[in-house]
Amino acid sequence: MNKPEFVYTTYIETTAEKLWQALTDGDFTERYWFGHRVASDWKVGGPYQFTKQAKPTIEGKVLVSDPPKQLAYSWDSCSPEAKRERTSRVTFDLEPRGKVVKLTVTHDNLDEGGKTLRDISGGWPMVMASLKSLLESGRVLDIYPPSAAAKETTCA
Amino acid sequence: MPRPEFVYVTYIETTPEKLWEALTSSEFSRRYWFNTELKTDWKIGSPFALVMNGTTTDVGEILEADPPRRLSYSFRHVRDDDMRNEKPTKVVFAIEPHGKLVKLTLTHEGFAEGSKLLDGISRGWPAILSSLKSLLESGTALAIPPSALGIEGMS
Repeated sequence: MNKPEFVYTTYIETTAEKLWQALTDGDFTERYWFGHRVASDWKVGGPYQFTKQAKPTIEGKVLVSDPPKQLAYSWDSCSPEAKRERTSRVTFDLEPRGKVVKLTVTHDNLDEGGKTLRDISGGWPMVMASLKSLLESGRVLDIYPPSAAAKETTCA
Repeated sequence: MPRPEFVYVTYIETTPEKLWEALTSSEFSRRYWFNTELKTDWKIGSPFALVMNGTTTDVGEILEADPPRRLSYSFRHVRDDDMRNEKPTKVVFAIEPHGKLVKLTLTHEGFAEGSKLLDGISRGWPAILSSLKSLLESGTALAIPPSALGIEGMS
């Protein structure tokens, strides 16, 4: 039996280069990803980390960095409940299609019935909706995050 | 084992009323749904058809119509020879206010194991709903080339 995975596809009127920047630049992610800033030098094997108000929330290693086509990183949530779960993996595929870019996020190697699976299944549609609106309109969606994000804890 | 179904959630800066209109009006659907018209009077039990570029692709009947909250119809593909013999499926749109946004949940269910239609609609809905979101937020639908979906007969 396969491990559970979560796949979400959206189409965005932008360029692959702008979308790549939006996924890898902390100033950008902070705007559409509920205040989470990402930081990394995006070299394969190197670390990356999301922080919110300077506290780490998600961390892992860069697995694939092939701008502007494919980005993948390992995913360890800093919440104590999720700490016991296996390290999962996130892959972004960016495919230009005419005047739009097809973005597919695949989150796999998840624990069956785990907290991470539950959180990300609700979270990715929000993050992707917010990212799409920001790139297309320049405005951030006024979206309130999933309740779990309200009581975030850190890796430290 | 998960049941074979397709679920897609998105958040749109609009009102439930405008989203309902976009889901039920051919004026809108032609723009975001690859030039598809919606042929029905939206009364429960009435026939329903999707007509793309003048060709009927899918048919069914209205199961639920509770504006602006919930819309459901049965759904059977009729164009492609491989898929037209599959059993009827069910499409449900749930519309919920989410702060200043609207949360749209599409559930398409009732597929047989190994359904070819499930593969097709899993490629189609993300494109249709992405374009719908753009249309409602910016006034312009997306120009997604139909061939981008990789669905046989869509080009």
